[in-house]
Amino acid sequence: MKVSRWSERLFGTPLPDGVVMTSFLFPLLYLVGFLVIPVFVMLATAFEYNGQLSAHWFSSIFRSPYYFNPLHPDGYLVKTLIYGGEEVYHFYGWDFGVVINSILVSISVMILTTILGTVFAFIMARYDFPGKNIMRVLLFIPLLVTPFVNVIVVKKMFLPDGIINWIFYEHLHLFPKPIWIDGLVGVIIAQTITYYPIVYLNAYASFINIDPSLEEQAENLGSRGFHLFRTVTFPLALPGIMSGAILVGIFSLEDLAAPIVFQGSPIAKKLMSYQIYSSFVSGFAIGNPQMAALSLVMLFLAVVMFLAVRWYVGLRQYAMLSKGGRWNPRVAKPKWWQALLIAFVAVPVLLITVFPQIGVLLLAFSKSWYGTWPTGFTLDNIKAIVTQPDIERVIINSLMYSTAAVVIIILLSLASSYASNRFKNAKLAPVIDSLATIPIAVPGIVIAMSYFFFFSTVPPFKGSSLDPTNLLEFFPGAALILAYSIRRLPFAARSISAGLQQVHVSLEEAAMNLGAGRWKALMSVIIPMIYLNLFGGAMLSFVYCMSETSVGITLGSINSTWYPITAKMKELIIGAVGSANLAAALGVFLMAVQITAIVIANVITKQRYSFIGLT
Amino acid sequence: MMVDVRLENVVKEFDGVQAVKGIDLHIKHGELFTLLGPSGCGKTTTLRMIAGLDYPTSGKIYFDDQEVTYLPSYERGAVLVFQNYALWPHMTVFDNVAYGLKLKKLPKEEIRKKVEWALELVKLKGFKDRYPTQLSGGQQQRVAIARALVVEPKVLLLDEPLSNLDAKLRLEMRSEIRRIQRELGITVIYVTHDQEEAMAISDRIAVMNMGTVEQVGTPRDIYERPNSEFVASFMGKTNVVPAKVVERNGNTVTVEFESFRLEGLHYEGDKDDVVLVIRPERIKLHPVENAVSIQGIVDLVEYYGFFTEVVGLFGETRIIARTISDREVQELKPTQPVTFYMEREDIIVLPKQL
Repeated sequence: MKVSRWSERLFGTPLPDGVVMTSFLFPLLYLVGFLVIPVFVMLATAFEYNGQLSAHWFSSIFRSPYYFNPLHPDGYLVKTLIYGGEEVYHFYGWDFGVVINSILVSISVMILTTILGTVFAFIMARYDFPGKNIMRVLLFIPLLVTPFVNVIVVKKMFLPDGIINWIFYEHLHLFPKPIWIDGLVGVIIAQTITYYPIVYLNAYASFINIDPSLEEQAENLGSRGFHLFRTVTFPLALPGIMSGAILVGIFSLEDLAAPIVFQGSPIAKKLMSYQIYSSFVSGFAIGNPQMAALSLVMLFLAVVMFLAVRWYVGLRQYAMLSKGGRWNPRVAKPKWWQALLIAFVAVPVLLITVFPQIGVLLLAFSKSWYGTWPTGFTLDNIKAIVTQPDIERVIINSLMYSTAAVVIIILLSLASSYASNRFKNAKLAPVIDSLATIPIAVPGIVIAMSYFFFFSTVPPFKGSSLDPTNLLEFFPGAALILAYSIRRLPFAARSISAGLQQVHVSLEEAAMNLGAGRWKALMSVIIPMIYLNLFGGAMLSFVYCMSETSVGITLGSINSTWYPITAKMKELIIGAVGSANLAAALGVFLMAVQITAIVIANVITKQRYSFIGLT
Repeated sequence: MMVDVRLENVVKEFDGVQAVKGIDLHIKHGELFTLLGPSGCGKTTTLRMIAGLDYPTSGKIYFDDQEVTYLPSYERGAVLVFQNYALWPHMTVFDNVAYGLKLKKLPKEEIRKKVEWALELVKLKGFKDRYPTQLSGGQQQRVAIARALVVEPKVLLLDEPLSNLDAKLRLEMRSEIRRIQRELGITVIYVTHDQEEAMAISDRIAVMNMGTVEQVGTPRDIYERPNSEFVASFMGKTNVVPAKVVERNGNTVTVEFESFRLEGLHYEGDKDDVVLVIRPERIKLHPVENAVSIQGIVDLVEYYGFFTEVVGLFGETRIIARTISDREVQELKPTQPVTFYMEREDIIVLPKQL
């Protein structure tokens, strides 16, 4: 009988069969081939100068004040300006150079989203008041992804003649002068509004999962009010809050929508994501090794943040450990002053953050929007979805790419979760697990950039239809499907892995013990037990693929025949006057897709799926 | 179809730690053989290696003369009843039981007959259309057993089959398992940590400790003639009294403990540091012919209903005697003098374990 020791070490079983080998090797080879190697190709490019190994491109970044200017920042946070004959407060932002700007924006967004998300989560988890269910629904609205157009609405809201001033300056007289939020501050506000529900969801789950007896014990010992929150509740929820905050930090770092919409003010362009993106757009700078170096700086920051939070959360996996006893949620009626705060602070803030999605609807159904409110109701933009050939085309493209990517994602998730859950002793199991998770920490624009270098330089891809420099034959669909499948893998993998963990390994062993081969056991026991997770994972990743932005507007925008939706939307919003309304119609279409998917997933799987607003 | 199961020097390492340290076992045809030991002793690992769900790091496993060490579980025919039953919740009782038969591609009618036979055997006729979640723990257990038996296994493996049942059901299922085993005459390997269960059900028992087999024998052998301090103390309540060999005459020795000197005991070891293993129920409070006796004082009298335990204090050493609760015993009070009588063959002298 042939027994293989190396197989036991690598795969955790001395008798690997086809199913075991496939479930390890398929995700391993796919992720190494289309994530690890492309990043290494970019790494090689970034560290090469005149044919030599060199840190030249990195030092050129850190020596240029354009990129790195920690000591003498330009710009200002806020200044009084004349706008339309009136004095306004102009919020703009300091310019410390591209790299530091990105970091500062990311940190600011993390702090603001953490405050907003935690406060809303605490209110929703611990207080009972009329209208709470409406509030719960409203909190999901900012999660609906409408690339670019929601940022356009945010920008309009905070113009001197925008809605915010209309309410708080003209009618309530709360501001001494109108405000105008622009530049990096605009980017921060737009990202905060877009991403805070991510922290909210994480924080809410953490508050809900705290064993009430832990807080009751503290109360029993004499702690209450803010002291109780500060010493017990908050520390227990902190790992969850931190995970959300870090995710937001990474998303902020890689976000392109806000910088592109705010690019009218030059400082908004001085962000890493925008700089890398613009090298694609301008064409001549594409393939510039300095951009490879900048991508790596961004990747480094994102990965450090990701690993730091993993380490931190890993150390503090205690919030849900205690068991037994009754489990009554601690929900209370707010005291009068808490009720006032909820009514006059939390609710208005919530309404402001919900408005961008409403604004997208208004934009889609109007002819134009100058000043405070949109004007001229029309259905033309919505009709264009089914009548205008170029719009139809991008929708079909996106549906095609996303469907193909989802098929790959489900197969990858199934294989990788099976390998890493069922063969825990295997040396490859943690490798597979990390590979399936790490794409969360890889900014989309970095994937786009690395694919550019990879497919344009490495045979057999060089000169093939995957090579973006091969303009005549380049088929962006293939690159997009690859990118989508890698970027969205972690979310489906997590859903499927959670399902697989619910299926006790003995159920499968019992089947094999009764004479079923591994494949038969998989098909007759595991798949029937986790098909809901497969379905949920598929819906989730489909929606995320449809709204993918970074790769879509770079590699995906090279040939207009093959545009995905997001590439078209970007073209529309920076294009002719009035075309933003058409982009908004596409945004409405995407929202409809997301709501449909969410409802189907929740109805069919009877589980709570929610999206976390990925672009 | 029944087989002999042999394990030769089987070793299993997990991450460099030996969970099973080279064990040899020979389980005979039609025997109900129990692997007994505390948790972590390697008994379940051994069972899983016989089932083909884990593979030994070294050593060999034979079914009759066929080596099966690395034969995949699905080709082995050593069917395991899992501790948690492992019933598939998405299949009915019928489908659960029929699973193994369907894999053998038997005709539908035959499958139906066999499933019905198996369900009848475990007294679950009429439950075939239920789902596992609609069954009680004991019923689930029976389905698991039916599912295993219906494929006519070469050997039936039971992993702590009673541990998830309540006390009353446990007794019932215990005799049920014994009945089915006798009825079908199959080889059964049974894993448990409960010595009472093991004694009640087994033809033979292997007592395992820390990855090794300490002793193999019939329940009586093991209870009355333990070959180590571990086996003695694991098999129910017993007195373990440290003592010293002071005189030898072949296998007959004289030992001392506290101020007592006991002559004419049987001992085959060569270490002088020994323990005396004395079952509490073998100690008498009345003079017995040819017995050795020790005098001490009563420390404690514990009344358990039909029996009473008298804890005697002999110097610093406490020894427990268990006796029928007669009136005389009830009258014993702490600090009263008491004499314990023991026949020499009831005092087992074993080398002291470190």
